[in-house]
Amino acid sequence: MTVPRSGRAWGVAVAVVFAAPGCLLVARALADVWRAPAILPQRWGTRGLDVALSGRALDALATSTAVAVTTTALALLLAWPAARVLGERRLRRPGLVLAVLALPLLVPPYATGQGLTEWFVRLGLVDTAAGLVLAHLVVVLPYVVAALTPGFGPRLHALEEMAATAGLPPRLVWRTVTLPAVAPALGAAAFLGFLVSWSQYGSSLAVGGGRPLLPLLLVPFAGSDPQVAAALGLLFVLPAVLVLALATRAARSPL
Amino acid sequence: MSAELAVEDAWVTLGGTPVLRGLSLGVASGTRSALVGPSGAGKTTLLRAVAGLTRLDAGTVRLGGRVMDGTPAHTRGVAVVFQEPRLLPHLDVAENVALPLRASGTSKRERRQRADELLGEVGLGALARRPVAGLSGGEQQRVALARALCADPQLLLLDEPLAALDPNRRDELRALLVALQQERRVTMLVVTHDRAEAAELGDRVALLMDGRIVQEGEPRALFERPASVAAARFLGMSNLIASTVRDGRAVVGGVPFDCPGPDGPATLAIRPEHVRLGGDGPLRATVLEAVYTGTAVRVLLSAAGALELTVTVPTDVAPRAGEVVRVDLPPRSLWRIPGEADPS
Repeated sequence: MTVPRSGRAWGVAVAVVFAAPGCLLVARALADVWRAPAILPQRWGTRGLDVALSGRALDALATSTAVAVTTTALALLLAWPAARVLGERRLRRPGLVLAVLALPLLVPPYATGQGLTEWFVRLGLVDTAAGLVLAHLVVVLPYVVAALTPGFGPRLHALEEMAATAGLPPRLVWRTVTLPAVAPALGAAAFLGFLVSWSQYGSSLAVGGGRPLLPLLLVPFAGSDPQVAAALGLLFVLPAVLVLALATRAARSPL
Repeated sequence: MSAELAVEDAWVTLGGTPVLRGLSLGVASGTRSALVGPSGAGKTTLLRAVAGLTRLDAGTVRLGGRVMDGTPAHTRGVAVVFQEPRLLPHLDVAENVALPLRASGTSKRERRQRADELLGEVGLGALARRPVAGLSGGEQQRVALARALCADPQLLLLDEPLAALDPNRRDELRALLVALQQERRVTMLVVTHDRAEAAELGDRVALLMDGRIVQEGEPRALFERPASVAAARFLGMSNLIASTVRDGRAVVGGVPFDCPGPDGPATLAIRPEHVRLGGDGPLRATVLEAVYTGTAVRVLLSAAGALELTVTVPTDVAPRAGEVVRVDLPPRSLWRIPGEADPS
């Protein structure tokens, strides 16, 4: 297949625009000395990575991953029935439900976090991992429901009924009909849920009680030591890219 | 394996509206029945209730003598060919056909083999490995039929199976459905709003109106001897004439016709294709309109006493508007609707 010249030029332009921030991040992380107005760093080195990895970065990576995975899994479980009801248009006022669901997003996450903290103190959840997951869930759930809803619809329901009359028990209907049909939406919802939890700063700061999470670790360096911040940024991006790859795969091939 | 279907006094209310209102229907084992009725009469609801997809508020569905209430759809042995083919887009044609075999954990090789046989029977042998997305509407409907047969059901339900097809494909699929049913002797119930489809597919036809079966019988009996004015109208017996019977004769347009039965007011009915034009018919009528329909000509006539008649005649003998023609109503085609005094 031949691609027209102008098409190829556009492709290159788009690739450059998308690759540039990534390249800059890598360069910044590996530049021991980089004074303006030089285009390239004066000295390359691994000081940024050394400092980043010597601290609590690996702890934070583990905690962030555990919290994001747990939150996403819980959110998917909770969102499934909601998305099903919304997607099949069984509600008379679906807008109302979505609005209520989105309320936590209308307030800055730090404020939501502060409100939660007050109650978590009373409930003994403050500074616990469970509290952190719950706080993330408040912010993650609306995104996951919204991403999962288009996976369901009257067409899926019709296929499930067909499979039942074909003699398939509910467990097999779920595996042969429901899951493959919902897979793309499920992949998107999982990806979105993971990312929202992964990059949560406000509510983590409010509820986390000093538990190391990547965004909390990164922000102080952004002003004081850009090289370390960039190195942590790389650490921050990699799992997200990995989850994106997995989600895309899940969406493409029926499970 | 096939079983007798018996629905007894079925009631279903959907969204506050009664849809089935004491419906009773029987289909003998190994026979073909058609259920016909206007849109909204409750046809699809009955089909869903028999398949186990809609719960009855009252009444019972029996299959081979066994009461089905509370039996989930997947254990009923009732296969459905829905109005839309409902194929699974992520499976190829053969795997769609073999879907019912997954319930018994049949191996992939066996599934393919069985699917190939069935696809051959419905004339799609060459398409087994294709994705379903590229198939035509008629091909998809055949895949759905093969899938329903693959379940080896006791009862096969079909919802308007011919509705979406063009006339030529329609005849093919009709012949195929009848052949497959006769070969397997599976009990079959077709649900349709199309009276021609009902007559073509059913050994017997049941007429469903307002949630009840109002008449049931062989197609010819139903189409020529309807039990009510509403049934006559729905079945296309559109000439409804108010008259009075005296001494075995009824006067229509000033002319007496033979009409047995007790004396008194009566509604007479005759099908448009049974009215005779020309010859020495006793009635004289003026042609108001002659509409060419492609396969016949529909003639609207006006006779004495504000009598209007619709007649279908072959295209080669059709009169023109304004002509005066002679009309006969053959006694064996003239039907006195029982118990109805006035067609309005």
